[in-house]
Amino acid sequence: MDIMRLVIDYASAFVLPCIIVGFPLYGMLRKVPVYEVFVEGAKEGFSVAVMIIPYLVAILFAIAMFRASGALDFLMQGLRPLLALVHVPAEVIPMALVRPLTGSGSAAIVLDMIGQYGEDSILVKMAATMFGSTETTFYVIAVYFGAINIRKTRHALPAGLIADIFAMFAAVYVVLLLFG
Amino acid sequence: MLNYIWGGLIVFSLVFALVADVRDLARDTYRNDQPLPVSVEFPDGYDPEGRLQDVTVGIDADTYRDFYATSEVPADRYAGVVIQTERGRQLRFADGEALPAPLATIRSMTSQRSDDLGGTMEGAPPGAGAPFWTATLRFEPVRWVKLSAIAAAAIDFAETAVTIALGLIGGLALWLGLLKIAEAAGILYALVRLTQPLLRPLFPEVPDGHPAMGLIVLNLTANMLGLGNAATPLGIKAMQELQTLNPTGDTATNPMVMLLAMNTASVQIVPPVLLVAIMGLHVNQLFFSILITTGLSLAVAIAVTKLLGRLRRYRNSDPSLQR
Repeated sequence: MDIMRLVIDYASAFVLPCIIVGFPLYGMLRKVPVYEVFVEGAKEGFSVAVMIIPYLVAILFAIAMFRASGALDFLMQGLRPLLALVHVPAEVIPMALVRPLTGSGSAAIVLDMIGQYGEDSILVKMAATMFGSTETTFYVIAVYFGAINIRKTRHALPAGLIADIFAMFAAVYVVLLLFG
Repeated sequence: MLNYIWGGLIVFSLVFALVADVRDLARDTYRNDQPLPVSVEFPDGYDPEGRLQDVTVGIDADTYRDFYATSEVPADRYAGVVIQTERGRQLRFADGEALPAPLATIRSMTSQRSDDLGGTMEGAPPGAGAPFWTATLRFEPVRWVKLSAIAAAAIDFAETAVTIALGLIGGLALWLGLLKIAEAAGILYALVRLTQPLLRPLFPEVPDGHPAMGLIVLNLTANMLGLGNAATPLGIKAMQELQTLNPTGDTATNPMVMLLAMNTASVQIVPPVLLVAIMGLHVNQLFFSILITTGLSLAVAIAVTKLLGRLRRYRNSDPSLQR
């Protein structure tokens, strides 16, 4: 298993430099006018980023309002007794609720929990596993669909959220199983 | 769905903010118009003529807890300044003092421009040269805290969204440029041929040999290796390629939904950079828990996407089945 870990570490360190150097290098070998082609493609960067803005504003301001209203505290209070029945500790509920909404917010929660319970506590392990194994669903939808002007998202959000909910439970039980 | 959730987030934030604020009013959380007892210490003795006098302010912990019905405890002493004018005496806490719960909120609500809490001092002042003054302090009334908070949050994050989007420009330009080279040099097509058998079941709607497949592979690989900064531009480019197959332009196709679901489930072999930054080496012990969780949730995401796609509602809105 250590070998596997090592291989993956190396891969993640090498893959970026290899692509960034490898693509133009291979292009040159294939007689592609690399500089001209690169600039041609890079030109789009600005317009794509600008295209995302309305989508990102819509999502982020709604989420920020929701968080600022204290609605999460209400939700947490409501969910606590229910989740206690299935052995989900109350301390990790904020993480599970915030994670699909904001990346920076959930990172702050991990930091906060480390300060409160220590890096080796099982609660921090659960929260960090939640953080590491899911993405900020709303942000991903805004960015990926915003970039191509998709407004009707069909089942993207329900699918993403169901997977998120599943991942939150899975994180709790997997950590319990491995470290409990 | 997104319409309802988005609308719901906004409406419910108003509802919850109102509930919280009305509750605060009913409980008088901020003790509006009731003066808080404080003891003020004058290091150089009280000067009835002095306009500005540096002081230290003490708040008795028990009094504070009873007064605000809270479990928060104030610090032993705070730095402050007493300002005397014809209209009365003001006590201002020093900028950025670490104040306990209700006081910190009162500060953020009443002192907009700077970071100091101020109140009107009441009670008879002591004689000249006296070292102490046991006074009471009356703050500006505080109401509708959450309502102002949601409005401020909305405006703040609208700006944050623009900052984030503009922050993507550099990475996007780099990757879109590199990918253009990859396309021109035929690297993408090689990737497509190599990985097509693996991905075909997940993206049956994408025709054989289409460059979107290659980009999807690159996007998923970057995700797996925890390279979020590269994964986003690659994913966007993959979406652009999928968009060329989309007959409608504004409705997501099945492959787009699948790619999105796979990204939100985020297959992660290497923990994300942000988590490594937060936890340092401790993240190593989480390697397996993250790997197992993310693998399971990826499987669920794929299955749920396929199942939901069969619902009549989403089948009817499938752009590739319309003409």
